[in-house]
Amino acid sequence: MKKLALVLASLMLAGSLTACGGSGAGKNGTLNLFTWEGMFPEEVLAEFEETTGIDINYVNFDYDETMLMKLQAAEGGDYDLVIADDYIIETAIAEGLVQPLDKAKIPSIGNVNPLYQGQFYDPTDAYTVPYGAGVQTIVYNPANVDAEIKGYADLWDAGLADSVGIISNYRVIGGMALKVLGKSYNTTETADITAAGEKLNELAPNIRLIKDDYIQDDLISGEIDAAVMYTSQVTMAKMTDPSLEIVYPEEGIGFGIMAMFVPSKAPNADAAHKFIEFILDPERGAKCYEYLGYYCTATASEEYIAEEYRGFLTLPAELDREDMEMIQNITPEADDAHIAAWNAFKGLCE
Amino acid sequence: MTRKNQRTATLAVLPMYLFSLVFVAGPLVYMLVLSFMTRDGFGFTNAFTLENYRSIFNEVYFATFLESLKLAGISTAAVILFGYPFGLGAALLPDRYAHFFRTAQMIPYFVNSLLRLCGWIIIFRANGLLDKALMALGITEEPLKFLYTYPAVVVGMIYVLLPFMFLSVYQVAEKLDLTLVEAARDLGAGKIRAFLTVTLPLTLPGLKTGIILTFIPSMGLFFIASILGGNKVVLIGSLIEEQLMRAHNQPFAAALSVALMLLTGVVCGLLMKKKRGA
Repeated sequence: MKKLALVLASLMLAGSLTACGGSGAGKNGTLNLFTWEGMFPEEVLAEFEETTGIDINYVNFDYDETMLMKLQAAEGGDYDLVIADDYIIETAIAEGLVQPLDKAKIPSIGNVNPLYQGQFYDPTDAYTVPYGAGVQTIVYNPANVDAEIKGYADLWDAGLADSVGIISNYRVIGGMALKVLGKSYNTTETADITAAGEKLNELAPNIRLIKDDYIQDDLISGEIDAAVMYTSQVTMAKMTDPSLEIVYPEEGIGFGIMAMFVPSKAPNADAAHKFIEFILDPERGAKCYEYLGYYCTATASEEYIAEEYRGFLTLPAELDREDMEMIQNITPEADDAHIAAWNAFKGLCE
Repeated sequence: MTRKNQRTATLAVLPMYLFSLVFVAGPLVYMLVLSFMTRDGFGFTNAFTLENYRSIFNEVYFATFLESLKLAGISTAAVILFGYPFGLGAALLPDRYAHFFRTAQMIPYFVNSLLRLCGWIIIFRANGLLDKALMALGITEEPLKFLYTYPAVVVGMIYVLLPFMFLSVYQVAEKLDLTLVEAARDLGAGKIRAFLTVTLPLTLPGLKTGIILTFIPSMGLFFIASILGGNKVVLIGSLIEEQLMRAHNQPFAAALSVALMLLTGVVCGLLMKKKRGA
């Protein structure tokens, strides 16, 4: 126990040292950065502190919902820059917790990939700058799968009995069944959602596991042969086993965006703008995306992404981008239909 | 008790009493009130509704309750099967060995149960320890797909819950007066008869405590089903978590929690009542 306490103490000490970023930092104020853990490489944060003299106070949240609650409690104050998922940003903007960006302070805004701009949560790009996108793909092990997988519908193949893994997100998985039926991810027709649920029930015999964390390990160890997983997991799987195949489903692609925004009463909005500009630097951005493992949302950074990562951190040029769709907030009734279908489906998986 | 002693006693329990009132009773009341409110976007409004309780009887969610009861029932039965003879046997051994078994049961608990469950993954996974052993012995030829199955979940439940049964039975069995069993045997009772008429009734309180200590947590241990069962066994705990964290339906999550508490309350009440009657 004593040893453990010692280790913990030294870790905390190390943490506080990096937070200070050496001598001289903080003379130009502090940037309160509020996001998930592990969003930036340490060296990029240290470089920002060194070149700007602004101290970074990195505060973590685990779920988007927690972020929103804290931001509501702070009435848009306390934090200077937040990075979170698209759907929660829509709510935050609607509640007046976000301030418009001062584009004059972000000259590199043109580096952003227009594909990830003008989306539902911020149609005029007045409030946000994207930082990484999750693109729903299928990953499979060609050594264990006989047929070629081209789209979601192929996961229903009887040859994949008891060997498919999926993430535990009812909008992504329910949406997958909707796509197979030729519907939108965001349909609010409960009849369509129920039909998709019934379609999903037919997939139950193929499902070996449903989980959010470390699902890539099960693919690598051979516990499952094909999986629908989050982008960062796809990156890790592919880095460990390059023989795995990534499939952009032919039914259409769903994606989500993480974006940076400045809360309405940010104590140091100026530092937040400086940080956004700093990250939009093409070369530095590439370093961040390689570390993050999500799709690169800055066109200018793409060419700087190392060859080994580029294949799965940028979309293939030949991909039909018309067919891409974001998962958005839907009506409570539609959401309830999704949840009911999802739980019925899980009950059938054995 | 003198008045002074009484005052000292009151002072001693007061902090804990207040603590429970604020941090246990308070949230419970909040949860109960919340369960009658209406969901609204990411939050809720205080419009009174019974809809949340009505939703529980939706066949999908009701099936989840049955599934939870089933797993809790199977786990508790298995824990009785393994834990009772083990606790009884260990208590009847000479002190030295008895203490060894008791300590051995507790040592794994120095490590967080989540971490210990991850150990089972190493054993159960494809080409893991279990597969290697079975294949080396020539019992199986291909890797079993044992991880993420129902039996794997049950093994995990037994593993986590067994010590509660063992310790409850052990404590009672330790005080068992063996001369009573001898007397029964002397008076002509067979081994089985002596067990059923003397040993079992005398150790029954330990068994019942063990059942309560096993059954209540087993209704809520959804992380075992998610780690070893690949989330395919939907339990009431995971449903509550999902309603809270993903579906943003706090009132329904509260209603489910209230229903779960009532259910465990009823089961325990039945056991306690019989205990008093016995």
